[in-house]
Amino acid sequence: MNANLWLKHARTSAARPLRAAVGLGTVGGVLLVVQAWLLARVVSAVVFDHQSLTSVMGLMWLLLGVFAARAAVAWLTEWVAFRAAASIKLQVRRQLMEHVRAMGPVRLIGEHSGELASTVTDGVEALEAYYARFLPQMSLAVLVPVAILAVVFPLDWISGLVLLVTAPVIPLMMTLIGKGAEALNQRQWRRLARLSAHFLDALQGLTTLKLFNASRREAAVIARLSDDYRRSTMAVLRVAFLSSLALEFLATVSIALVAVLIGFRLLWGELDFQSGFLILLLAPEFYQPLRNLGTHYHARMDAIGAAERMVELLDTPPPAAVGGGVPFPATRRVDIEVRDVRFAYQTEHLALDGVSFDLKHGERVALVGPSGAGKSTVINLLLGFIQPAAGSILVNGRVLHELSPEDWLRHVAWVPQRPRVFHGTVLDNIRLGRPDAPLEAVREAARLALADGFIEALPEGFDTLVGDGGQGLSGGQAQRLALARAFLKDAPLVLLDEPSANLDMESERLLNAAVERLATGRTTVSIAHRLNTVRRADRILVLDHGRLVETGTHRELLADPGLYDRLVHSYGEAG
Amino acid sequence: MKTLLRLTRLFRPYWRWMALGTLLALVVVLANMALLGVAGWFIAAMAAAGAAGGTMNYFTPAAAIRAFAIARTGGRYLERLVTHEATLRFLAGLRVWFYEHVEPLAPAGLQHYRGGDLLSRIGADIDALDNLYLRTLVPMAVAAATGLLAFAFLSLYSVPMAGIDLIFLTLAGAAVPLLTNRLASRPGARLVETGSRLRTAVVDTVQGMAELVVFGAAEAQIRDADRLSLELIADQERMSRIAGLGSASLGLLTNLAVWLVVLLGIVLVRRDEVPAVDLPMFALVVLGSFEAVAALPQAYQYLGHTLAAARRIFAVVDAPAPTPGPTGPSPAPSDHGLRLRDVSFRYADDAPWVLRSVDLVIPEGHHLAVVGPSGSGKSSIVNLLMRFWDCDLGEICLGGHTLRDYHSEDLRRMFSVVPQRMHLFNTTVRENLLVANPQADEAQLQAAAAAAHIHDHIAGLPDGYDSYVGEAGLKLSGGQARRLAIARALLKDAPIMILDEPTEGLDAATERRVMDSLLSAATGRTLVLITHRLKGLEHMDEIAVMDEGQIVERGTHGTLMAASGRYRQMHEVLTAS
Repeated sequence: MNANLWLKHARTSAARPLRAAVGLGTVGGVLLVVQAWLLARVVSAVVFDHQSLTSVMGLMWLLLGVFAARAAVAWLTEWVAFRAAASIKLQVRRQLMEHVRAMGPVRLIGEHSGELASTVTDGVEALEAYYARFLPQMSLAVLVPVAILAVVFPLDWISGLVLLVTAPVIPLMMTLIGKGAEALNQRQWRRLARLSAHFLDALQGLTTLKLFNASRREAAVIARLSDDYRRSTMAVLRVAFLSSLALEFLATVSIALVAVLIGFRLLWGELDFQSGFLILLLAPEFYQPLRNLGTHYHARMDAIGAAERMVELLDTPPPAAVGGGVPFPATRRVDIEVRDVRFAYQTEHLALDGVSFDLKHGERVALVGPSGAGKSTVINLLLGFIQPAAGSILVNGRVLHELSPEDWLRHVAWVPQRPRVFHGTVLDNIRLGRPDAPLEAVREAARLALADGFIEALPEGFDTLVGDGGQGLSGGQAQRLALARAFLKDAPLVLLDEPSANLDMESERLLNAAVERLATGRTTVSIAHRLNTVRRADRILVLDHGRLVETGTHRELLADPGLYDRLVHSYGEAG
Repeated sequence: MKTLLRLTRLFRPYWRWMALGTLLALVVVLANMALLGVAGWFIAAMAAAGAAGGTMNYFTPAAAIRAFAIARTGGRYLERLVTHEATLRFLAGLRVWFYEHVEPLAPAGLQHYRGGDLLSRIGADIDALDNLYLRTLVPMAVAAATGLLAFAFLSLYSVPMAGIDLIFLTLAGAAVPLLTNRLASRPGARLVETGSRLRTAVVDTVQGMAELVVFGAAEAQIRDADRLSLELIADQERMSRIAGLGSASLGLLTNLAVWLVVLLGIVLVRRDEVPAVDLPMFALVVLGSFEAVAALPQAYQYLGHTLAAARRIFAVVDAPAPTPGPTGPSPAPSDHGLRLRDVSFRYADDAPWVLRSVDLVIPEGHHLAVVGPSGSGKSSIVNLLMRFWDCDLGEICLGGHTLRDYHSEDLRRMFSVVPQRMHLFNTTVRENLLVANPQADEAQLQAAAAAAHIHDHIAGLPDGYDSYVGEAGLKLSGGQARRLAIARALLKDAPIMILDEPTEGLDAATERRVMDSLLSAATGRTLVLITHRLKGLEHMDEIAVMDEGQIVERGTHGTLMAASGRYRQMHEVLTAS
């Protein structure tokens, strides 16, 4: 969908408050005319009818009342417009989050999480000014000037004509110059973003620059880039500001023209002073809504920019729902048969090309192979995140992708390579799968995962805030936290993706011991990066280019010269 | 206030532009006020003349009206050009100023800012300073000047009338914004807090989706994000009400000022103290004077943000240089041997010691490996050799002179380093390599890349060596980035090589080949290899085993394996189990 269209479509959910905002704005416009009339009347009465203060005091009080009413209306307009934008923002954000969820774990891997997060947060915020200011102003920019013209024309058609002729020229000029300036502006923004990015890059790489004695050189580069930026920006601005020059010129000169014309008609007695003064008071107000529209114009550009990113996200179709509705009753025994499974993420390249194996209850299986061999795909299939394109996976004799995903996942615990530490307490993180788990159970899980030691050393133990903005955890600690999660879930099938980066020896020892414990009495599949793990496996599945090329125990596989043998030797040491 | 003064000192080189911009901004406001005032007087005077059946000199006022209209229009255009020119000049200078101040601090003085977030906030802080002049100082100066000039003009007619205008201008321009700012300070802080919590929740959802699904927590997480979204809206509503209150009272104060001035004007007209035809002019001049305060609420907001940004920037810049240079010229090293004598070091006074009485002698041309578990202090040796930090106790000498006697640039010229963390710049592969040696030719470039086993990969890219890498460009895997860093170090021809975990993240086969290239490049040079892997150390002249900041063992691979100490123990953990 087109971003502009989408923005228009999204406003339907707040149609009423938006209409109310326009209505209130119009009331404000009418009050403005009344106020001008009262002021003109008072001044005219005093100056030309020589009235005393007491005789105009009634009008003066009325004027005061109008002031109060205008203030109240202005405040209310702001509030109503905010409500309108707020309900749209809330709804759009919900829609985006739902879409993120529907995309599912596998599809999300390729997304830039930072970019996505800023679309959902800042992107949605960028809609506010559009709905709360620009849209109501669009209507007001027509309604208020028309109301003023309706007052001015009967009083003095010449002034009315001046206003009428200049008014449409302003938005026209603005769009004409604005469009060109907008393109230039966008380019300028990109330049600024590049300049800022370069500066940030230099700061982040300062240590590296220093290592190579390049840091002083860089100061000259920054100076040159900043200066280039200034020159090019000013070249753009000289043109871009022409639009405001034109606007200012028309508005100001026509006020001046109206004033001079009124003056002469007054001198010739063709107009009464009250009408003349009223027109003079209304003339600047005639252009005000058009000017406001100009100042909110960038809100529209921002909103379109944000909407483009949203539409792009929403147009990414979520993968076809995986899993069926067949219930899978709770069990402690899980036997799995993988039968000639094929799978492709993109049509042209098979990630798995006919893989078959069995997993017996209580068995420990290690997956090894070079990167891209299909190890992660096997795990994703077992998790039910994706379903085989051909072949099938049977769990206790039932087809996995026909099972209810919730039922199935209750039987699976998973420890990824880099476990996510969610923002929240350590406690919340461990009981991710069982939010109501008693503290004792959580402590026990942490103890089994050998995580209790470091958790208790944290400033507030289990209540320490971790994750983004909280206490940082090392890779090894995050792993053990994830293991504690798995212990607490106590699922019969455990899927593990070992950390490939080197942990220090102590972390490695603790991790191995905890994994050992978790594997006991459970069916375990691990993507192995360490010799340690493969040695303990009951069976090793060696994958290469989506095929299962070897299987057996460590000893059996070493006896045959093959991929495994080569892999083990490139680990550096053989047993 | 001190921050503001210090900031304005940075303005000094640009003060002419800035003063001119402010003056033009004042002209714009005054021209409008004058235009309205003269127009009001003009029509009243013309009407009076018309009513009296007489005539009047209408050329002067009509010409004045036109002149003011043109002054307003042209002034606005020039004002915007000049103020932007001033701002851009200031920002360009500020970037260089900041960079020059921060450069000597890195990395010791910036260690708290290591996270990308903090650094990018600094970048944003600098960008934020452009608001100071354009959106804060100019409106404030213009408002003050307009207030005083309007007062002076009106007091020609009536001092109380001038007083009313000034009082209401002050209320609208200072009291209301200050009050609303105070009201908004707490909800504003909460708004920022809620916003960042929402962002965290979204990032958690996106990055942790798999775990959320497996642990059945996706629903709860989405609900949580929705709750935060609602909370954010509630916070914003509070802010919006305060803002609405501010703008409504600004309008009300404008109108009240006009009302009171008209009231007083009527009294004065009735007493014949002022000509009756001046009454419309009073009303319109007062109305026009309020244009000057319209931008002030925003100016205060920007002022708060800008000062906070400026304080953060000054805090960074004000850190003392961690490793002051010598006063005289650098000495000439007698050779390229290194010696650490009884070196102890910690990163801060309250931090634990990371190196404790470390003694090392590395004669020129020798190859030394430093091994040990992570956190044992190995990389701190690199930081000390580079003089990113100075040791607290003991001494480090290069070629017979203490490191403190060398200017840091002269010192670093002698080292070629693959640090543990190497930054790849957001530019082309070529530019990234040339950082090490801007004079290198194409052949040298390719030779270095080939030695790091990355040439084939680069050559296979659509734009080859001109492909962009880093955030804005191509994503390199950790191993590829590592190899590019190695190529960079190889391109710099220096007598001493320092390799800190050079092959981290490389697969086993590549690791071996890259290591071979590095070792052959190191032939004839002094080499310090820091690693926690124990492979390929057989050819090192010496191996020092570190643990908890101390050297616990040293010798060759052969002697250490024979000694059945820590080294042998580590070997066994890694090889057998």
